Amino acid sequence: MNEENISAHGRQFLGRRDFLSQVAMGIGGLSLQSLLAGDGMKVPIRPSIDPQNPYAPRGTHFETPAEQVLVIYCPGAVSHVDTFDYKPELIRYHGKKPPGLPAVTFEGPSGNIAKPFWDFKPRGESGKMTSDLLPHLGGLADEFCFMHSLPTSTSAHPQGENFMNTGFTMEGFPSFGAWVTYALGTANEQLPSFVAINDPRGMARSGKNNFGSGFLPAAFQGTAFNAKNPPANLVRPDSLSPAAERKSVDLLRRLNAKHLEQYPDDANLSARIASYELAGRMQTSVPDIMTIAGEPESIHKEYGTDAGSDLKREYAKNCILARRLLEKGVRVVQLFNGSDPSGGNGITNWDSHNDIAKTHAMQAEIMDQPTAALIADLKRRGMLDKTLVVWCTEFGRMPFLQANGTGRDHNPEAFTCFLAGAGVKKGFSYGSSDEFGFKSAENPTSIYDFNATLLHLMGLDHERLSVYHSGIERRLTNVHGHVVKDVLA
Amino acid sequence: MSRSFTAVSLLVLSASAAQAVDFDTEVWPILENNCTDCHDQDASKSGFRVDLRSAFLKGGDSGLAAIDLENPESSYLIELVSGKIEDLPMPPKGDQLPKKDISTLLEWIKEGAVWPGQMEGKTEHAEATLWSLQPLDPVDKFNEKASPIDAFLEEALLSKDLGFSEPAQAGALLRRASVILTGLYPTYDEVEAFVTRFIEDPETAYRDEVDRLIASPQFGERWAQHWLDVIRWAETNGSESNLYRKNAWIYRDYVVNAFNNDIGYDRFLQEQLAGDQLGADAATGFLVAGPHVPAATVGREPAAKRQARADRLDEVMQTVGASILGMTVSCARCHNHKFDPISIQDYYGLSAVFQGVEFDGRFVTETRDHPKIEKRPDLLAGIEQIRKQQREKGAVWKEDWKAHTEIGFPTVKAKEIRLRFHWKRVRLDEIELLAPNSSSNLLLAHTGVEVSEPEANRAPLGSIDYLNDGMFGTNAWMAREVADAPGHPNEGKPYIEFEWPEEQEISGARLSVNRTYALGTDFIKAYSQKVPEFTLERKVGDKWVTVVSRPKALEEIQPLVDQYVATGPQFSFVGRFEEKPPVTQLLLRGSPENPRGEVVPAGFSVIDGDLGLDSSTLDHERRLAFGDWVTSGENPLTSRVFVNRVWHHIFGNGIVTTTADFGEAGARPSHPELLDWLATRFQTPVVDGGQGWSVKALVRELVLTQAFQQSSAPDKAALAVDGATTLLWRYPPRRVEAEVLRDSMLRSAGVLDTTLGGESFRIHNVKATYSQWEVVDNSSESTWRRLLYQERMRRVDDQMFTAFDLPDCGQVADKRTISTTPLQALNLMNSDFIMTVSKRMESRFENLTDEQAIDQIVREVLSRRLETDEMNQALAFVREQGLAAFCRVIYNTNEFAFLP
Repeated sequence: MNEENISAHGRQFLGRRDFLSQVAMGIGGLSLQSLLAGDGMKVPIRPSIDPQNPYAPRGTHFETPAEQVLVIYCPGAVSHVDTFDYKPELIRYHGKKPPGLPAVTFEGPSGNIAKPFWDFKPRGESGKMTSDLLPHLGGLADEFCFMHSLPTSTSAHPQGENFMNTGFTMEGFPSFGAWVTYALGTANEQLPSFVAINDPRGMARSGKNNFGSGFLPAAFQGTAFNAKNPPANLVRPDSLSPAAERKSVDLLRRLNAKHLEQYPDDANLSARIASYELAGRMQTSVPDIMTIAGEPESIHKEYGTDAGSDLKREYAKNCILARRLLEKGVRVVQLFNGSDPSGGNGITNWDSHNDIAKTHAMQAEIMDQPTAALIADLKRRGMLDKTLVVWCTEFGRMPFLQANGTGRDHNPEAFTCFLAGAGVKKGFSYGSSDEFGFKSAENPTSIYDFNATLLHLMGLDHERLSVYHSGIERRLTNVHGHVVKDVLA
Repeated sequence: MSRSFTAVSLLVLSASAAQAVDFDTEVWPILENNCTDCHDQDASKSGFRVDLRSAFLKGGDSGLAAIDLENPESSYLIELVSGKIEDLPMPPKGDQLPKKDISTLLEWIKEGAVWPGQMEGKTEHAEATLWSLQPLDPVDKFNEKASPIDAFLEEALLSKDLGFSEPAQAGALLRRASVILTGLYPTYDEVEAFVTRFIEDPETAYRDEVDRLIASPQFGERWAQHWLDVIRWAETNGSESNLYRKNAWIYRDYVVNAFNNDIGYDRFLQEQLAGDQLGADAATGFLVAGPHVPAATVGREPAAKRQARADRLDEVMQTVGASILGMTVSCARCHNHKFDPISIQDYYGLSAVFQGVEFDGRFVTETRDHPKIEKRPDLLAGIEQIRKQQREKGAVWKEDWKAHTEIGFPTVKAKEIRLRFHWKRVRLDEIELLAPNSSSNLLLAHTGVEVSEPEANRAPLGSIDYLNDGMFGTNAWMAREVADAPGHPNEGKPYIEFEWPEEQEISGARLSVNRTYALGTDFIKAYSQKVPEFTLERKVGDKWVTVVSRPKALEEIQPLVDQYVATGPQFSFVGRFEEKPPVTQLLLRGSPENPRGEVVPAGFSVIDGDLGLDSSTLDHERRLAFGDWVTSGENPLTSRVFVNRVWHHIFGNGIVTTTADFGEAGARPSHPELLDWLATRFQTPVVDGGQGWSVKALVRELVLTQAFQQSSAPDKAALAVDGATTLLWRYPPRRVEAEVLRDSMLRSAGVLDTTLGGESFRIHNVKATYSQWEVVDNSSESTWRRLLYQERMRRVDDQMFTAFDLPDCGQVADKRTISTTPLQALNLMNSDFIMTVSKRMESRFENLTDEQAIDQIVREVLSRRLETDEMNQALAFVREQGLAAFCRVIYNTNEFAFLP
């Protein structure tokens, strides 16, 4: 039985309560509930999706301050030991090779321990030690809740991106943003419910998979656009005048109305009619939201659209766009800082196997000021009270150098992400890596735990937000995950 | 498994002599004090309890027996309590058991785990209570009816006071049949001809039309796509570089042809599992249809490589499980299946069947589906003859085989060989030195050869080990010039030396830069495959003597080589096979780092999966045996799963709605008797002397039912009883797939290129290895073939039809999601594609009057004529906006997008 396939009529007659039990019976025959319960699993909460308006706002599983979420994703793996995870032992052991570190890592033979390439200083009232590589973000340390003991299960980028963004290393699973919009819909139906703002250089290595809908309905995939490029096919073709467009839409409406007479109350047909109306509204609302030129000069200055490298200026515009989208109530904004294809300055993302001193610095120049400005701007507007901010990457980098002596290899055993905003502790650090930043030590937080916590912050029980696909109740957290209660405000 | 259990119980009986350990006073207290809180009859955590001897022999969810009477020390119980399983200490909290207790337990096991009163207790075998694992049980109660299928359906309808709806109108019926059978709406000529005949004799007219559609080549194209969806077939790897899989499309054509030629579903499965043995090389593309992470992007850690291999094998499991068996096999990868009687042993038994399969290509020679391939033994013989003549003449020469360079010279004897390169930078994935006549590679490890290079020339990451490891691809030897190197034997440039324990005869060499990329992928800005210039020398006494230096191409031979490369067997991504696969191990909790003993190739034990194979069985014999097992007619899943899938595609929902899960957590059949009747009938020849497993006969029978031919109009009363139309009181209307929309648009505009099969049409760029595919042209004339032939790049948005729930080929898509999004509307209103097609449609009818042109367009797109009020609106619109704008509107109507 396919929930989406049932007409409005069918639904009316079945009634909500009966309908749900029918669905459950349909899947299990014996009753899915009893199967799941017998196995200690929780019964899924299915969002009630109106086919005529799949984006209508829907309730959370429990109360939560967060209404929206901003995910800032940094592909390529940011070096935790050079940014937010201060390890004085690295200074002490600089140039040495302490026992217990592996001979071969992802790219090959390993070299010696290297101290952080940038100095660390205490920041804010919390005195959090962060490095000079990201001074603007460091200045906001009192707002952040750092998580220092994240391990992942892969040391390859695309699998790592997949894991972080979809909960599985393999491809084809729904992204975090898709799960959230599937569950919650959106507050502003004039705009897409989930926007993926790709880096000015292009998409990250896992491409569309990072914001895809997997086996959830395509309606819940992220819509890709940024400050420069509108979504594909948004704009009316040049050959058609506005009047021609109006009349076309009008004729279409009449033909569809006539057709609907044969199938009165068929929700699938009226849903499609509604989708054309929404598309029409998006043709105005999206260009409006993309027009950041009207923002005050002070904002442009703060975000940095006026100074620095071309890529930084472009990324800064994306940051302004992100704020404008959140302001309008878009449920999920995923902002990328890094890509796969090369562009601009010759680096593509945070991957720094060679000359990390140079490549991380170039990437940091792009990311630091605009991202910090975005978070500060959200705070100033009071939006952090209802917006969850997540800054993340797929894994960390090694405390020692590669054999080439200038770069750090992938470190899947420990890395740092931070949260901020609605529902999250401020000026707080959770968990820690070992003395070298090599492995997670205190309170290791798996990606499953991390994602369970994000869903919890959005008011969703990660064990009950599931969808039936090919024989399995699929979740963002697979069959794992515990909410990290310690980071909740 | 059953055999090893038998062996175990024999052993138990013979071991009951003098015991040193007493169960009741020594063993039970340990268990009771430490284990029973979580593992007794009330709380059997992880499916394990300690109060039954049989439970120890069977083990819990992990799938491992807790005690191993043959190897007591490696009993899982002993490993757990001694803390050997790092992240799973038992007991989980508090102190470890005292050493004394552990040795008591071990001693107890060594003595046969004697448990007074329970020695008769048998090891439980998984019992097949699951409905889908029962033998087919057809009830022939309606066999005398004209359509037994309708009779089964009507019986269920009557029980709810429902019945079939009125017959559908002729036009709607043809639209429906045409889309279901060929994936295309009919042309108006077809509609008109049909309606005329339908008025005279509806039954004959419809049957003839169905036969015509089933016989059309578009039938195979339509049904191939359904199959490709399930196995998530695509032409790229997915993963980091998402590389194109060269010639993977021959598998797609194989599937199209298999449906068109109606080769029988049993044969279809056998060929996909072992087509290399059955004269259908392309068919094995099935096994490697899923995504995989190529070696180049796994990294260099050995554990990561092992994990990647296990993941690749799991992709094969998913393909086989979802498509053939309709079971979620992968659920048993880490522990026994939570719901279904599939144990972790079953999973690894099944994976052993495919242990010889690798995600790669091979030179295919036996295929009906590769237009390029001829074996061309004539060319090879010609090349060999010229080589022989040249050697006799004492010549040296070079052959360019595109993926590698081959050097020939008169046979020399040497114990040491040196290659001096004349380039500053050298990169080679393999060097082979060839023995005379056999062409066998003298550099493989078994010859005892030693390879060395000067330390100073080494480049990081380019280990010399890659040079003669027998493996091609991105792991390559690299070396570079050393500046300012007085006394360097090659003036600072790279060189390499080989030395054997004994003298060898050598008559040629083969070098390549990246043979994997050159053979296996395409549309990539790869580095040059040009092999560096070199001099090959042999050592005579203490001097190096030149054998070949900077050899030149030979005019007599190169054209033959070129011809062979272009027209001979083509390297195609349809799987590579290892005849002697490594022993398959059960992997505790799915981890390749925890191998737990040998598992032999087998099907599911619960449905007689013993194939009589062992770990020494050759790869192809395993796959053949498995093919026989699934198509024997005894396997209760194969035909049930397939007829249900066909039903799903014809009626919009399966009799079992969970089409890839016939397990406990899947749906029960809405019409169980009908399902079994169909599954049985499917295996039986329709006509005497004909063959069973005919897909065309099955499809034909279903679309000739009254159920299929009835109207799709809603009915309030019926909706109240059966809102989901499960009982089929009407034909359920639904949105058509992306393919139907696109292909029908092109066809109605008169521009669809109906060429059958061949290479996919391109819409993407030629990309760098590490970058994303980008759509460069998805609308111009070169793309006007059916969407089936659009190159299928995993997880790439084609900027047009992906929004219409086109699967991204990352996961099994046994059923497509059907969603409605504004992006669909934007794509269908504003894309280059819609504008181009509308323009073409306009030019098709521009010589007619407006009214005639409108009439023609609506006929072609919607198979009907406009009513007067509609025509008036249309005329007013066309007079102002033109015909192309009108076409754009018509293509966007609900009527076009929904199957009546």
